[in-house]
Amino acid sequence: MTTTMRRSRLHRKEHQAALVFVAIPVIGFLLFTLFPLIFSVYASFTNWNGISAPVFKGLDNYTKMFGDRYFLKSLWNTLYMMIGIPVGLVISLALALAMNRKMRGTTFFRTVYYLPVISSIAAVAILWQWAFNGDFGLINQGLSLIGIGGPNWLQDTATVKPALIIMAVWKGLGYSMLLYLAALQSVPRYLYEAAALDGATAWQQFRHITVPMVRPVTFFLIVTSIIGGSQIFVEINIMTPTGGPEFESATIVWYIWQKAFDNLQMGYASAMSVVLGLLVFTITFIQFRLNRRNQFSID
Amino acid sequence: MMKSRPIAATLAFVAAAGLLLSGCSAPAGAEAGGEKKLTFMFRGGEDEKKAYEKAVEQFEKDNSVDVDIIVTTADQYATKLKAAIAGKEVPDVFYISPGDVQAYVQNGIVKDITQYVENSDTIDLDNIWEYGVDSYRYDGKRVGEGAIYALPKDVGPFSFGYNKTMLEKAGIPLPDKDKPYTFDEFVAAAKKLTADTNGDGTLDQWGTGLNVQWNLQPFVWSNGGDWLNEDRTKVTVDTPEFAESLQWFADLQNVHGVTPSVAEAQTLDTYQRWMKGEIGFFPIAPWDLSTYQKLGFDWDVIPYPAGETGKSATWTGTLGIAVAESSKFPEDAAKLVEYLTANKEAQQSLVDAGIQIPNLKDMAEAWAADTSTKPANKAEFLEIVKDYGRELPAGNTFNAEWYDELFTNIQPVLDGKQSAKDYLKEAQPRMQEFLDSANQQAGN
Repeated sequence: MTTTMRRSRLHRKEHQAALVFVAIPVIGFLLFTLFPLIFSVYASFTNWNGISAPVFKGLDNYTKMFGDRYFLKSLWNTLYMMIGIPVGLVISLALALAMNRKMRGTTFFRTVYYLPVISSIAAVAILWQWAFNGDFGLINQGLSLIGIGGPNWLQDTATVKPALIIMAVWKGLGYSMLLYLAALQSVPRYLYEAAALDGATAWQQFRHITVPMVRPVTFFLIVTSIIGGSQIFVEINIMTPTGGPEFESATIVWYIWQKAFDNLQMGYASAMSVVLGLLVFTITFIQFRLNRRNQFSID
Repeated sequence: MMKSRPIAATLAFVAAAGLLLSGCSAPAGAEAGGEKKLTFMFRGGEDEKKAYEKAVEQFEKDNSVDVDIIVTTADQYATKLKAAIAGKEVPDVFYISPGDVQAYVQNGIVKDITQYVENSDTIDLDNIWEYGVDSYRYDGKRVGEGAIYALPKDVGPFSFGYNKTMLEKAGIPLPDKDKPYTFDEFVAAAKKLTADTNGDGTLDQWGTGLNVQWNLQPFVWSNGGDWLNEDRTKVTVDTPEFAESLQWFADLQNVHGVTPSVAEAQTLDTYQRWMKGEIGFFPIAPWDLSTYQKLGFDWDVIPYPAGETGKSATWTGTLGIAVAESSKFPEDAAKLVEYLTANKEAQQSLVDAGIQIPNLKDMAEAWAADTSTKPANKAEFLEIVKDYGRELPAGNTFNAEWYDELFTNIQPVLDGKQSAKDYLKEAQPRMQEFLDSANQQAGN
């Protein structure tokens, strides 16, 4: 009798303690995520300059958006720059395969490729800005060694997006490579052994064992890269602070930021963020549906 | 007792976290113990930060007020200030640009400090640049007149200069500091300077190298053009005067070839080249002075080349320091503003840092007369502030969207692929649309 009493009291106390622990992130979420989210949805229906009281304007901001050529252009630019995602995945898988082999210096190379990931994006952007300088930049100096006169990367409408893509791929390589490496190392060796016994070539092994086995990682990387890629901002703002030549490098988040903080149009900016949020949500949702169809597991 | 310890610890932790959070947002001045406390938010580089920290320290000593300093980088300032405003935690004293005055006054963010300023013993309005003070006056309709909402931290006359050593070597008579070059004279001098001095077959010295965003204004204005009409309701970039000056600007590169290689609009390049002594004529502003003291050649300041009107023009930048309407200690806050903008010692430490010209007229005259530091023609800076400097075109409109639009698609003109006239004709309606919406916003 007494023991059960004690146990239940202990249980209750521990339960209470647990609730307090759980409360911290929940309160954090409500305060810093859910509330701003709901508020920005509300703000998107208002004319609000960010410092005055918002004035309700219905769907004005939303209708304005679809006639705003810079909104459409920045949306297009953002999509365009996602070309870097598949490119980055292919290269990082190749690198991971190379790193997975037993050879000297892999630790060194892993560090080299991972370094950009932990570097501050602002510092990296400034470095690349110098590298892309049309006049004395590292890249054009390198190109001139093989007799190519490089373009003025960040000032030329034709090269500004590729330049930013190159940088994004470089920056993200280490992270994807590391995840692929972990995935590769957890592929059971017996699968390869069995395949080899059956006479599978290296390519067939890669195609039918490696690729499907790392698929969860690929999926994870695609989803997170698209979410991250749709929010690319810092490097744009540092490398092309005016949105690039003829607005060629302005991304959607950069445009939202400019409207909100430079041009006192917080309401309109909120509306654009809501649209962006919905787009990202939709794309991610579709990805999860497609992925469910391809899912399989080994016991 | 033992059992409740985890709960107690957790509660203590939550309470601490709560305190931390509210600590960040505790309104300035609400400190217990009755001590006066102000927050001062500004942006700037290392030099500026040091100079202001020193000035603030002195102010704290003299006034027994505690001042909390919040410094941000230049590009984060707008974001952080707006976040503070949205969170109703406006710093007591903060930087404001003339372009923001309208919006901030209308929304009750900044305080009318006319009274404090007029009754102040620190500040003598007759001895401080009118241009600077007027930039922060607002009468409810127009910026430039009426009550004072901020005092200038500085005025930044954007002047022009030349590499004296290079001109002398090329045998070009030095430009007259009282009589500006005409456009043609300027091109002729620039052409003579553009050369391959070491004979390796590529140019290594150029006449000039200008950035359109910061350098177009002087040429447009001196040619009789302007961005807006008098009452700031109509965009006037489609005039022949405007087109002519923009075309001339683009031709410097495309026709006359007196600037470094194609598409070098990046200031970075021309700035570096100027410092290396490869460029003849280049803009010079007060904030460059400390850096330019170390240049390996002799240089001086001259008026900008002038177009049709024959009279030089340029812009004078300024940044103001304002007091928040919500400040608990407006009197002390205003005192801090006065101290930072007009106190002799504070001004001297900023001028010594080589980042600005003195705000006080008498001090500025003395500074200009001093020949121990470059440039010799410091008086040109004062001339600009007193006489021919103007505010940047978007300085007095509700936002700068209409103004930025001109530069967004200008590259083809600079590359010589589109004529200035055609481009401006195309851009005008788009700019007008943005201006209309800005003016409309300012009205409500």
